[in-house]
Amino acid sequence: MQLLTEIILLPLIGAVTITVFKGLMPKKLPGIWASSLVGISFLLSIAADVHLTHLGVHHRFVTGTLWTWISGFGPAIGARLYLDPLAGIWLLVITGIGMLIHIYSIGYMHDDPGKARYFSYLNFFIFSMLLLVLAGNLIVLLIGWALVGLASYFLIGFWYHRPSAVRAAKKAFVMNTVGDVGILLGLALLYLHYHTVGYPHLFRILSAAHPGSAFFEWTAFLLYVGAMAKSAQFPLHMWLADAMEGPTPVSALIHAATMVTAGVYLMARLYPLLRLAPNVHYLVGAIGAFTAIFAASIAIFQRDIKRVLAYSTLSQLGYMFLAIGVGGFAAGVFHFMTHAFFKALLFLAAGSVIHALGGEQDINHMGGLFKKMPWTMAAFLAGTLAISGIPPFSGYYSKEAILGQVFNSGHTLLWGVGVLTAGMTAFYMFRLFFITFLGAPRDQALYDHAHEAPRVMTIPVVILAVLAVVGGFFRGWLNRWLAPTFALYPGASHAGLESGPLFGTILTVGLAMIAIILAYWMYVKKGVAPNAGSAHGLGRQAFEAWNLDTVWAWLAVIPFKTLGDWIRPVENGILAFVNGVASVVWLWAADLRPLQTGYVRRYALSIMVGLGALLAFYLIRA
Amino acid sequence: MLVVWLMVVALVGSFVTLVVPRQSAKMVAAIVGAIVMVLYIGLLVHPGQGVNVSWIPAWGIRFHVGSDGLSLFLLGLTVVLTEAAILASKSAWGPVYFFWVLFLEFGSLGLFSALDLFLFYIFWEVVLIPVFFLLTSWSGPKGRRAGMKWLIMNLFGSLFMLIGIVAVAVIHSQPFGPLTFEISKLVHVHMDARVTPWVFAAFFLAFAIKAPLWPFHGWMPDAYREAPAPVTALVAGVMSKMGLYGFLRIMLPLFFPEFVKYETGLLILAVIGLVYGAFMALRQTDMKMVTAYASLSHIGMIALGIFSLTRAGILGATFLMVAHGLMVGGLFIVLGLLENVGGSRELGTLRGLNASAPRFAAYFLFFALATLGLPGLPGFVGEYLIIQGLVVHHVVFAVIAIIVLVMAAWYMIRIFQGIMQGPQGDLEIADLKAQQIWWIVPLAGLVVLLGVWPNGLTSHAVPSLYHAVHLLAGKGGSV
Repeated sequence: MQLLTEIILLPLIGAVTITVFKGLMPKKLPGIWASSLVGISFLLSIAADVHLTHLGVHHRFVTGTLWTWISGFGPAIGARLYLDPLAGIWLLVITGIGMLIHIYSIGYMHDDPGKARYFSYLNFFIFSMLLLVLAGNLIVLLIGWALVGLASYFLIGFWYHRPSAVRAAKKAFVMNTVGDVGILLGLALLYLHYHTVGYPHLFRILSAAHPGSAFFEWTAFLLYVGAMAKSAQFPLHMWLADAMEGPTPVSALIHAATMVTAGVYLMARLYPLLRLAPNVHYLVGAIGAFTAIFAASIAIFQRDIKRVLAYSTLSQLGYMFLAIGVGGFAAGVFHFMTHAFFKALLFLAAGSVIHALGGEQDINHMGGLFKKMPWTMAAFLAGTLAISGIPPFSGYYSKEAILGQVFNSGHTLLWGVGVLTAGMTAFYMFRLFFITFLGAPRDQALYDHAHEAPRVMTIPVVILAVLAVVGGFFRGWLNRWLAPTFALYPGASHAGLESGPLFGTILTVGLAMIAIILAYWMYVKKGVAPNAGSAHGLGRQAFEAWNLDTVWAWLAVIPFKTLGDWIRPVENGILAFVNGVASVVWLWAADLRPLQTGYVRRYALSIMVGLGALLAFYLIRA
Repeated sequence: MLVVWLMVVALVGSFVTLVVPRQSAKMVAAIVGAIVMVLYIGLLVHPGQGVNVSWIPAWGIRFHVGSDGLSLFLLGLTVVLTEAAILASKSAWGPVYFFWVLFLEFGSLGLFSALDLFLFYIFWEVVLIPVFFLLTSWSGPKGRRAGMKWLIMNLFGSLFMLIGIVAVAVIHSQPFGPLTFEISKLVHVHMDARVTPWVFAAFFLAFAIKAPLWPFHGWMPDAYREAPAPVTALVAGVMSKMGLYGFLRIMLPLFFPEFVKYETGLLILAVIGLVYGAFMALRQTDMKMVTAYASLSHIGMIALGIFSLTRAGILGATFLMVAHGLMVGGLFIVLGLLENVGGSRELGTLRGLNASAPRFAAYFLFFALATLGLPGLPGFVGEYLIIQGLVVHHVVFAVIAIIVLVMAAWYMIRIFQGIMQGPQGDLEIADLKAQQIWWIVPLAGLVVLLGVWPNGLTSHAVPSLYHAVHLLAGKGGSV
């Protein structure tokens, strides 16, 4: 229990000390200090997880209440922490990948004047994310949930003088608040009925309930809204692409590896509730599948290296939710883990490219970089192969686990969408790889300037590349680690990793191979321009992310502003009425003003003197 | 006894500021405020020590003051925010200004600790005077008018309250009991069913105007806009709580059946204010007015908690009253300091200030986040409890409330970003210096503490709160 507190507090200490003492710190200290604290947190996390292995299968959790958070209207709600194998996986990924990205950032941000601020935000993010996954009840989870949103807001808008960054930060914050209040209402309903929102009591109580009532559907739906907003599921997904305004390591850590998977965590955590709400459970999978293919269709036409990766993140998150939706909880978590490896890798490698090209993100200006940046190219290739699901790279195993499970569950349509998306993924990722690293340079000036990243940046990238290659081999270990957790309560009978039919694997991998060859033929052989096809027609629509921003503006933003404008005359009416009355009194008072003011003063004075004398009298007497 | 000493020190201190040299008035006022704060800590340790002596025996009026869980933290809010307001004021405003601020503190302390209904009324009137002078004499060009509107509307309301008070006391003494104004005795009054709605309305009007609840907020926009920022902080932070406190302390025990009867109507009234304030805040371009309408919206939220008539809702309202006072008070004070150096409050005139004034931006953001209800800060605690209370019988209102929480995030971030972020404008301002703001840090710390450990407040407030509202017999008793 103590260990949990320390794991959480170390990054908070970092954030506070850097904020307070940044003026006194030598230039390089904030980065090193922040990285080491997260590093210690990582070591302690390993220790905490090792401790879990010593516990019996049915008691494999550590929990405790630090203090009573609130009481007085029902059973008290504590500031409670909870670690079980599910949280343990997230714990390792957050602190482990977090540490690597902290180290990478030392190089990436080395000449940014705001780098102390940057590291304090980054540490604050790690603190909030740890609070989220180690929360012992939904209230603490919600606090962590909102604080990661705040950290994300800080870091998206890190370069606050850029209007686009400021807009993106606002959008992310408000859309995430939609999710926060969904969880708030959901947990209020749960508390109303069960008088607890703590783990594992809540799970035990839910296990005894019978599915199908509207209460469970609504509660699960509200909590799912929270997951949708945080994990950028359609239609609450738009903020994630804009979030790329933040520094690239932030995109790797927050908007790919960790924070955006919080929704997956929440849904996996609440599997006893999903059992009781079959409709919402199905909805989670269906929206997941739709998000996967929808985002892939957008990624194919993007021209900005980070936006391609952002939409691929959306798409991969869709896969994770698809797994949750068919009850393949371990498969979803497995994909979360491998995705954290290869997507963090891809973002960091992309960051090295952007860094080398002096901030250029448009792939129209890239090409042929493999000669200049061999290490980065190799790492990016490893990540691309992994995300495309080519064996034996990590993404292959986790994607197979998901698709196999979807097939076994009998959701053929969702399975078909998943397979098709796998092919699209291989296409757009290799399109990106070929355009960036192969062929002839498209911008000679930028190309001449390009150089391999410094070692402080390449070493984390190489470590992640190794993980992205071998991450799939954790399959058996992960299954043994998670299966008992999902077996504790009903609702996850198919939670363990399963294998799909052989023809499914052949079809998926075959489609991916064809897509890669097609991409090679188009972008290397034929030399098709990166922006070809996105100028008009459907391609244009896809490039503009199907214009959902406009739809949202019409559905939400404009109605709210218009209503605000309609209220204004009402307000003017109320104020005019009061003004009218005041004017009458004012006119009437004008005749008597000398007398009147005299009265007010005398009135005031007499009250004061009277009260003062009275008080003095009784004080003396008492 | 201690609670009386708080009042005495504030009252005597207010007169002391008048006799000391002009330039040291602010310092003296700050010291007086600090002494009151120290005494308040004593009160926290030993609450419940009151004074109860006869004042006007012929009418049964007693000087009965004391502090319980319901008032204890509002007294704390008063002393903390008064000290902050003094420190944020300009020394150049002169001794009379500080006299009125301390006099207001005296009146507020009296109001929150009065346990005799007539004494409550006296203090209700007493606080009108300092605010009227503070509004008319140290404010913007429309200040006189704003002060007049404030005085007229509030006098109007309190006149009705006086009628209500006399009616309750007289009915209680029928047929031949002695006349008394003790709140604890008056709650047992048996009123004729034809009379009760009128008495209810009389009290309701006074409290609704003071809070203000929609649509009784006609005085609010001008007063908040024109008053100097520290005064706005006191009016929005402390004065607005007096009306809400009246609902809890006086109306709920007296009229519980009426609250049950009118529940839906009252909830609708509160929710209109909640939504209306949020929409208005969304469309303002003056940063002070955004906060003013945000405050109107929050008052609606607090009222929603009270009118939900559930334990969680009323507890949440009590908590949010204190939290809102500190948060919105802090926000008005920071905005006031910003206006002093920036010379404007308008979005567009002020923009991109983060680059030249990062400290301003940080404090602005902190109080803005607290006000918008960020989980981890106290606004969230109150809002959670109120929603927990609303879901018991009124899920629809809970849904509206959470939509407004999203709007709150929107209007607060909009105003923060508009002023602090984006490309730097022509205006560069001097950042806050440590000696200007050392006292904001403990204020912010207090806000964080309330958010992280709300039980420190609620566990004290609960017993007397439920005593005061008669345990809400039967209705929603479990949650």
